Amino acid sequence: MATEEVVEGYAQALYSITKAEGETERVEREAFQLRGLLEKNHELGQALGDPSISTERREELLAGVLGDKVSPQTKKLVGLVVEQGRGRQLASILARLSDLVAESKGSVVAEVRSAIPLDTERQQALAAALTKVTGKKVEVKVIVDESVLGGLVTKIGDTIIDGTVRRRLELLKEQVR
Amino acid sequence: MLSIEGKTIVLAAEEEHSETESATVEHEPTGLDLILPALPELIGGALAFLVVFAVLKKKAFPKIKEGIEARENAIRSDLESAESKHREAEQVLQAYQAQVADARTEANRIIEEARVQAEQVRKDIVAKAERDAQAITSRAEESISAERGRALQELQGTIAGISVELASKVVGRTLDPASQKDLVDNYIKELSTMNTNGGSAS
Repeated sequence: MATEEVVEGYAQALYSITKAEGETERVEREAFQLRGLLEKNHELGQALGDPSISTERREELLAGVLGDKVSPQTKKLVGLVVEQGRGRQLASILARLSDLVAESKGSVVAEVRSAIPLDTERQQALAAALTKVTGKKVEVKVIVDESVLGGLVTKIGDTIIDGTVRRRLELLKEQVR
Repeated sequence: MLSIEGKTIVLAAEEEHSETESATVEHEPTGLDLILPALPELIGGALAFLVVFAVLKKKAFPKIKEGIEARENAIRSDLESAESKHREAEQVLQAYQAQVADARTEANRIIEEARVQAEQVRKDIVAKAERDAQAITSRAEESISAERGRALQELQGTIAGISVELASKVVGRTLDPASQKDLVDNYIKELSTMNTNGGSAS
């Protein structure tokens, strides 16, 4: 089975469960936080997807990381994915889950990376601007990523709107070459 | 001659004798009588000669003639044979000379061919050497040029990398929260003025 199909299948399954349990919003929010965590900690993602580590050990690892920060539902669902040996695709599955939740509300997810946390006011302004640009209702998800140095980069589906200092420096670097 | 001499001697003897006996003998032969034999002797001699001649003509002459003819024929045939051999020899000589001439011509032709071939080979070798040298030179030049280009590019890349890394560090350090917020606000403002989907806001 192709990776994309695996991701889609798991995301759909997780979405169906959360919807049935009426916990969609919370699980999605926590899933997004977990994605940020996985992104910052590559080793964690690697370990969760490492078939040489026993399933029990991986679940313990996940439980240790999540602790009490997330709801039991989220913990259970993520544990299910890891248990099935799909730890490597966990981040992608969670991203797709966010998309599915947004789609159900008739909106799209805009993944925004910023060097600093954005206050509600700016998030709303950004969502409004993005809605205007895309013509769709946009739900902004902010990931604090210091590597962008400054400014923002927005990813909606396959579209990337990059206005970061890092990008400008990269452009400068290409020009200097 | 001998007989004449004998005669003379005889005559002389006879002369002596006559001188001594001139007083006693009155009629002695003189002139032609001294030379000519007496008639009976002459007739006898003539008859004898004729007989001998007839016998010779009958028996000896044909054989002698045959012998002479045979000899003549033999000599002629020898001569002809010699002539023919001479001609043959001349023909052989001519053929030989022609062969020698042919051989010389052939030898000259082979030598000329070899010379031409050698010249061609020499030219080919020189041309190939020149081509090889040219190829080596141009390869070396290309290689040097490529190497220089690569080195230059690497240097530029390194310089660019270092510059940007430094710039990143400087920027990262100099971007205070206020500047960060300004950057975010600018982004939102630029996004608001965008008309199309996608692209890269700068």
